[in-house]
Amino acid sequence: MRFWRWWVQNRNREADLERELRSHIEAEAEEQREAGVTSEEAAYAAQRALGNTTRIKEDVRMAWGLRWLETLIQDLSYGLRTMRRSPGLTAVAVLSLALGIGANTAIFSLMNAVMLRDLPVKNPDQLVLLGTGRASGSTDDFASTPLYSYPFYRELQQKNQVFSAVSAVLSLTFNSMHGAVGESGSLEPMDVQLVSGTYFSMLGVEPILGRAFTQADDEPAGGHPIAVVSYSWWKRRFARDPSVLGNTVRLGSTVYTIVGVTPPDFFGTTVGQSPDLWIPLSMEKQISPGWNGLDNKWFQSLDVLGRLKPGVTVTQAEANVNLLARQIWHEFAGAVLTKEQQIALKRANIQLTPAARGLSRLRFQFSLPLQILMAVVGLVLLIACANIANLLLARATTRQREIAVRMAIGAGRARLIRQMLTESFLMALCGGALGVAFAWWASEALLAMVSTGSRPLPLSVAPDGRVLLFTFLVSLITALLFGTAPALRATRLDLTPALKEGRGVASIASSSRLSKILIASQVALSLLLLIAAGLFLRTLVNLANVSTGFDKKNVLLFGIDPSDVGYKEDARLANLYGQIEQRVSAQPGVRAASISFFTFNEGGWDGPVEVEGRNLAASADNDVLHNVVGSGYFATLGIPVLFGRVFTRDDTAASPKVAVINETMARQFFPGGSPIGRRFGTGNDPKHSSDFEVVGVVKDAKYISLREKQWPAAYYPYTQNLQYYNDLDVRYSGDPKAIVAEVRRAVGQVDHNLPLTYNDTLAQQVDRSVTSQTLIARLSAFFGLLAVFLACIGLYGLMSYAVTRRTNEIGIRMALGAGKTNVLWMVMRESLTLAALGIAIGMPVALAASRLVSKMLYGLGPVDPLSMIAAAVLLLAFAALAGYLPARRAARVDPMVALRYE
Amino acid sequence: MTITKEAYNRIELLQGTLDMLILRTLVLGPAHGHEIAKHIQRTTDDVLQVEHGSLYPALHRLERKGWLTAKWETPKEGKREFKYYRLTPAGKKQLATEQSKWRLLVESIARVMGGETA
Repeated sequence: MRFWRWWVQNRNREADLERELRSHIEAEAEEQREAGVTSEEAAYAAQRALGNTTRIKEDVRMAWGLRWLETLIQDLSYGLRTMRRSPGLTAVAVLSLALGIGANTAIFSLMNAVMLRDLPVKNPDQLVLLGTGRASGSTDDFASTPLYSYPFYRELQQKNQVFSAVSAVLSLTFNSMHGAVGESGSLEPMDVQLVSGTYFSMLGVEPILGRAFTQADDEPAGGHPIAVVSYSWWKRRFARDPSVLGNTVRLGSTVYTIVGVTPPDFFGTTVGQSPDLWIPLSMEKQISPGWNGLDNKWFQSLDVLGRLKPGVTVTQAEANVNLLARQIWHEFAGAVLTKEQQIALKRANIQLTPAARGLSRLRFQFSLPLQILMAVVGLVLLIACANIANLLLARATTRQREIAVRMAIGAGRARLIRQMLTESFLMALCGGALGVAFAWWASEALLAMVSTGSRPLPLSVAPDGRVLLFTFLVSLITALLFGTAPALRATRLDLTPALKEGRGVASIASSSRLSKILIASQVALSLLLLIAAGLFLRTLVNLANVSTGFDKKNVLLFGIDPSDVGYKEDARLANLYGQIEQRVSAQPGVRAASISFFTFNEGGWDGPVEVEGRNLAASADNDVLHNVVGSGYFATLGIPVLFGRVFTRDDTAASPKVAVINETMARQFFPGGSPIGRRFGTGNDPKHSSDFEVVGVVKDAKYISLREKQWPAAYYPYTQNLQYYNDLDVRYSGDPKAIVAEVRRAVGQVDHNLPLTYNDTLAQQVDRSVTSQTLIARLSAFFGLLAVFLACIGLYGLMSYAVTRRTNEIGIRMALGAGKTNVLWMVMRESLTLAALGIAIGMPVALAASRLVSKMLYGLGPVDPLSMIAAAVLLLAFAALAGYLPARRAARVDPMVALRYE
Repeated sequence: MTITKEAYNRIELLQGTLDMLILRTLVLGPAHGHEIAKHIQRTTDDVLQVEHGSLYPALHRLERKGWLTAKWETPKEGKREFKYYRLTPAGKKQLATEQSKWRLLVESIARVMGGETA
């Protein structure tokens, strides 16, 4: 309604202005006539004196204000009409923009989820983490700064002056514990996180149902079998039943009562994890008997989070925390510190890390790859921009007459440029909108690619406000990038020839020079991407060729969970392991089976050793990687035994303690002579240096990652180191599906209550250990090829256009005796020159840029001649192909037809 | 372009002074666009050329600011209707401030230029 009134008023005003200007001209003409000019002359002179009325009207309309809105509406509708008039060009442009912007949005969504998004808690900016959050697990190092003990946390909580609240979280989430809902429920996997009573109140997270934990839930140990459950678990398991409170979950032999439900967007404090249940730290022993650190000052397994008091800076807090921590550690250690302790205490420095975005090991793993990918898709978008700019340049040539006419009847250059930019924005926004839809799908696919576990990571990658803003800004920038040059170029023309001929020869020449520059830069950018892709692919190949030291083929990995069904760490547990190994090995397709603490890429347990009869230098790195395995482990993993023996049934809890070590450990700790029969102990205490007797030496292997340096490693039999172990490794032959069923049956025969999950093959586990490299290699290869494809389309378009325009010239050349080969070569040479120019520009840039990614490379330096040559050759080949098609068309020109052309 | 080829003594208007000249012209009474242009030209012995191209946008701008009002009227001796502009009280006030600013500017420039010749 309002718009209508404005429009009517506007029309009146237009008529009014027209009338006013006419009256001016008439008054002027009259005056001229009075001065003696003929009436015809006078009218003409009057018009001339006033000047360009269209322009005046434009300026007057500007003075009216609201002009911008009117202009915008005009421009938009004109833009839509232009887009409809050339549907082919519009489709190509919008689609390539959708791809480019979509790829950027998808990567950004993931980056946003992993690196940028704040936790959905109260004032996340006040949260800090003690340490850098890189470690998880437990350590008994004196004065550990990545992880903290429960007594330390309590002392800090009571004595600090800088936090309004402090809370502790166990650094490990117990993923896939098996619990039963209700009295008679069957076992199902659930993820459990142990937190201090202050956890929810410190975060400011109010449960939507029931209550959260309080400080009172921290004591006494074992006294608070309660659980707060996540919204998604409540939805999944209880269909949002409000009577969920008071229901129970049995984990192991303890029954927990559900007391609260968290809000929908809360997923805890670790990005990439989303626990189903939170349980008070006071229940640590009940949840996992191995984690019994409530009153152990040196069982350091907690992440400690604090909320800064208002006005306290991170630096102030850091000073206070470090001062306090030294006091606490000193107190814990007792009156007299050993020399090592004194050094450690002096060296210990707690760094406070802002925790607004939560903790995440994921972030450490993926921030560099994501940044690299962001750069890659950014370059792809640039290439797409160059392509569209070229299309628009070509169209600008065909639109020259239209533009000339519009300028001749008084359109200002600025106005025309603005109008053409509006068209570009319209195109970019269409591309952006499509891109968001594309990204929605792509970011889910990306998430699946980065998920190292068998389940997708619980991360929300759906576009949020920040992502949409990003996409919008990218679209705007894109439009400016591809729209500005063509708009400037199209409006800078010499009117007279443009009107006369319908084309200005000079401006075509200069616009094709601009096109050439665009193409050469596209080639340069593609070269960059191809070289990057080459580097990452070769890294992946190098990683795949790393000698693992074990045979990853034909091994299935299962998980068992004896703690969940009430086994204690006693002889019954050893018996269970033994029976499982025996039954499973007896299955027809199974060649060997073994329980183990770690298999590959599951983390590790490292610590120093003391060797009997040797005085190891205290300063040296005496760390060894430890593993606890069954007697069939080496056969299952295919690790060759070099000397001595592996474990047997005779190695029992009662027999002397034995160990099998790897070559590196043998060389490093037992130089000269056979290590068989020699003794060593774990820890720094010389009194224990004869705890284990070496009975065998096996070949070196990779343990935690493919990129690791060679660890010295020691294996111990589980019979002599009884604990809950979760890995069941099975070497098989034949059909793995049948084997999974066989193993299930065999384990069921031993204990039908024991939860058994099939996780993966060992080969998959190895592949997953290089997820970030795989991701980056695959995506950079994909985008590299896409970039080359786009660049070649651009090159092809330019050359085809050139051939069409030069048909006449080519005809003359051929009439004068130029052969088909000459013509073919003439056109080919031009496209190859452009490609070569692009490569020459791109090479030094690539050399400089590849240093930035050297951290992601393995087995090759950033300057890799093979990748560079391969990229250049591939580009030249594609450029030759893109040039050949128009060149062949040129060579087929019939001179007679060509000469008559135009 | 500050001086045209045909008449060396014709001077392009300083940026922003056109508004002041229009307001000043209208102090004498209502006038239409053509009259305003002629008046300025005549009183300055054709030294100041009013670009018609900028006259009308200026008039409309001043009208929008509320310094002028406009009405279609037929002059006593004429037969054609013209759009007559009148100064509003706000326009008078504006003219006063512009005039004092102008005076200050002229005096300052004169001081500098005088210093140069002395």
